Amino acid sequence: MLTQWLTRFVQLVIVLLFLSVVTFVLLKLAPGDPVLAIIRASDGALSQADQEVVRESLGLSRPLYEQYGSWLLHVVQLDWGQSLTSNREVWDILIERLPATVYLALGAIVVLIVIAFPLGVLAATYHNKAPDALSRMIALLGASVPSFWLGLILIYVFAYQLNWLPTLGSGSLRHLVLPSLTLGFVMAPEYIRLLRAGLLETFSHDYIKAARARGISEWRIMFRHAIRAALLPIVAVSGISLGALLAGSVVTESIFGWPGLGSMAIEAIRLRDYPVVQGYVMFCGVCFIAANWLSDAGTAALDPRIRMRKGRRV
Amino acid sequence: MFGKRYHKTVSVSWIVLVFVLIMTGCMPDDKRANQTQSSAAGTGQDESSDSKAVTIIHSLPVDTLDPHLGWIALRAGVTETLLRLDDNMQVTPWLASKWEAKDPVTWVFTLRDNISFQDGTKLDAAAAKASFERGIADSKALAASLKIASIEANGQELTFTTKEPHPAFPNELVHPTASIISVAAEEAMSKEAFNQSPVGTGPFKVTAFVPGKEITLVRHDSYWDELAKLTDVTIQFNADANVRTLAYQSKQADIVYHLAPESLERIEKDEELTVQSVTSLRTHYFTYNPASTNVADLRVRQALDKLIDREAIVKEIMLGHAMPANGPFNATLPFGNKDAAQMLDQAGTLKLLESVGYTKGATGKLEKDGKPLVLKLIAFSGINPELPLIPLLLQSEAAKVGITIEIVSVEYPGEYIKNHTDWDLSTASYLTSPRGDGGSFLHSAYVPGGAYNPTNIHINNLEPILKELNKTGDVAKRHALTRHAVEVIQEAMPHSYIVHPNILVGIHQRVSNWKPGAEEFYIVTNKMDVK
Repeated sequence: MLTQWLTRFVQLVIVLLFLSVVTFVLLKLAPGDPVLAIIRASDGALSQADQEVVRESLGLSRPLYEQYGSWLLHVVQLDWGQSLTSNREVWDILIERLPATVYLALGAIVVLIVIAFPLGVLAATYHNKAPDALSRMIALLGASVPSFWLGLILIYVFAYQLNWLPTLGSGSLRHLVLPSLTLGFVMAPEYIRLLRAGLLETFSHDYIKAARARGISEWRIMFRHAIRAALLPIVAVSGISLGALLAGSVVTESIFGWPGLGSMAIEAIRLRDYPVVQGYVMFCGVCFIAANWLSDAGTAALDPRIRMRKGRRV
Repeated sequence: MFGKRYHKTVSVSWIVLVFVLIMTGCMPDDKRANQTQSSAAGTGQDESSDSKAVTIIHSLPVDTLDPHLGWIALRAGVTETLLRLDDNMQVTPWLASKWEAKDPVTWVFTLRDNISFQDGTKLDAAAAKASFERGIADSKALAASLKIASIEANGQELTFTTKEPHPAFPNELVHPTASIISVAAEEAMSKEAFNQSPVGTGPFKVTAFVPGKEITLVRHDSYWDELAKLTDVTIQFNADANVRTLAYQSKQADIVYHLAPESLERIEKDEELTVQSVTSLRTHYFTYNPASTNVADLRVRQALDKLIDREAIVKEIMLGHAMPANGPFNATLPFGNKDAAQMLDQAGTLKLLESVGYTKGATGKLEKDGKPLVLKLIAFSGINPELPLIPLLLQSEAAKVGITIEIVSVEYPGEYIKNHTDWDLSTASYLTSPRGDGGSFLHSAYVPGGAYNPTNIHINNLEPILKELNKTGDVAKRHALTRHAVEVIQEAMPHSYIVHPNILVGIHQRVSNWKPGAEEFYIVTNKMDVK
């Protein structure tokens, strides 16, 4: 057990180190200059010489490896640095934005479950019949529709035409509905297809046929045996989805003015606020890895074969 | 395959799930219910009968309310400056009742005696001095613009000594980043907390701030000037023009900044909604590469200038919401060029290019010494929707006379042209007179080393005028010198000015005593009201 946790910790460190190097280099290679934001705020008051002084004071004129080394040295001491545009601590900014992203992630998961599970079960239950066709059509629609377009359509219908829901912002359940629907609907198709395929495969197994032969109700077969088996690939994929949700949805958050990590990231990238972007990417990396660990744990909980290692339980 | 009981269970599950979804989605919270009952615009009104609330949506999300690092604290009516701009872009007293220049580097301001910060402490010269010292320490931009060597505080008299003669010093003080704040309040509440809820002298106080989302304001009941008519204001942020427009059409906001021009027809059909189109202080222009042999000859630049169809840009691309430009400053400003902008003149272009030695070749392209005139134009790939389209129109007009323009779209043209020489012209877009004076832009864009002069353009004849401008404090003389500088710049034509875009602001009919300003500084005011 301890060895496994140690292995995972080493993996985490290696992944984060690799991620930090790639992000750092890509950010510096991308066109743009954080000093531009300061120039904009001053309406041109900073001469080119002043700009150089600012660059120097921010350490942006140093060689790349020095900048990276300095950043890494601070990060290992849990100092994520300061935003170049607002002078605020990067950690404070991330923590401040996290609750909104978690809130939206929960909303999206509820929508995803509400859409994907009934449709997946219906599609498998009525294989090659009308509900199956309908389920596949909805899945295709969800997979084809870009989230920004769906978001605007939902705003148009529910906020503008019907005036039922707020156009933008956060703070109440009503604010959560449209962004959650947007995110959940776009993510659902993958799960509909996985559940349908998993259930169809499970239905073909002998133990299901035997259960039916013994007269066990279809309800019991479905929810006691079939779904449990069909959930395995879903739980495996959910790690990636959960990681993506916790990293914040850039498009959905931007459209709905949702104050989460995604909208923060897009603004930080636009302003080339390197410490914030770097902090965000590291945070995303940790979220993805943690979500995958959770997904592994879930898979192990569902499948006893995975729990068994070298003849003993993990 | 499945029994009746199973089908029934599935159906019941579906009904329950749909019901839960609908209830979750549509159940109004108390606040919303109150809003819907009491507010025509459906926004911001609370239960109190004498409360008056307004919701504003702006396009630029902010992460901090630090008054010295951004504009939003002043825009929100939380902070104020010593001086301000009036409707005619003239500098007028605000927190300071009067000011005078003792000599070219010494400025004395007399602060009003009846002003308190929102934390109850008095605004005196010492408090203002502390505010400037904090601003200069935190904002290099503010330090660079004010050029302050020392500050002395004596009662209500604040004396600045600048590092060099700075006749535009009063103009610099109207900038939002020169806001006066209570440093005592910051020391009491920590910098982080202060930047979430800054304490100024304005008519509104911050009650809540969610970075990137909204600011909630409440009336400051001890405001030194006329008490604000509104009790509550909410400023929300959304960067998507379509969403802002839909929010306005849904009447979920009373004032919405930067509407999409293509949506105006739909908005104007609703009698409750109005739109104001105000010529901004921004200028879109082409800058020519001083190192390019293709555009080194003034006549070539003049020829290209005649190919810019400003009327078509205003009418077709910007749907009428812009003003053709004939200089860096718009014609409504006292120092703006009042002459009509250059019209599309293909014949004039051909005549000028022929005088340079260009003739039409066998392919119909203009050539000189057997070499066709091919120009590389650096264009914005994003930002304002019109900026990528303007180069396309020029490309089309140029093709008609036999000039080939190759467009290269980049995210930051200013950065590209600074680091490359393989280009002939580039698009640029800047606020040219945000402080009610043209001097700052002239120095930034036409003096080598200026912030907006990445290619270090230098015009010999301009130098003495700018020197004179740097010594002149008299406003009328500064305006005359600025106009003269623009004439000299136009003769040298390092830039071709295209248009001054308008700011499109949606204002619900219920909002009264308020109009958007070209400077976009004073959004929340004590005078704004609702019917």
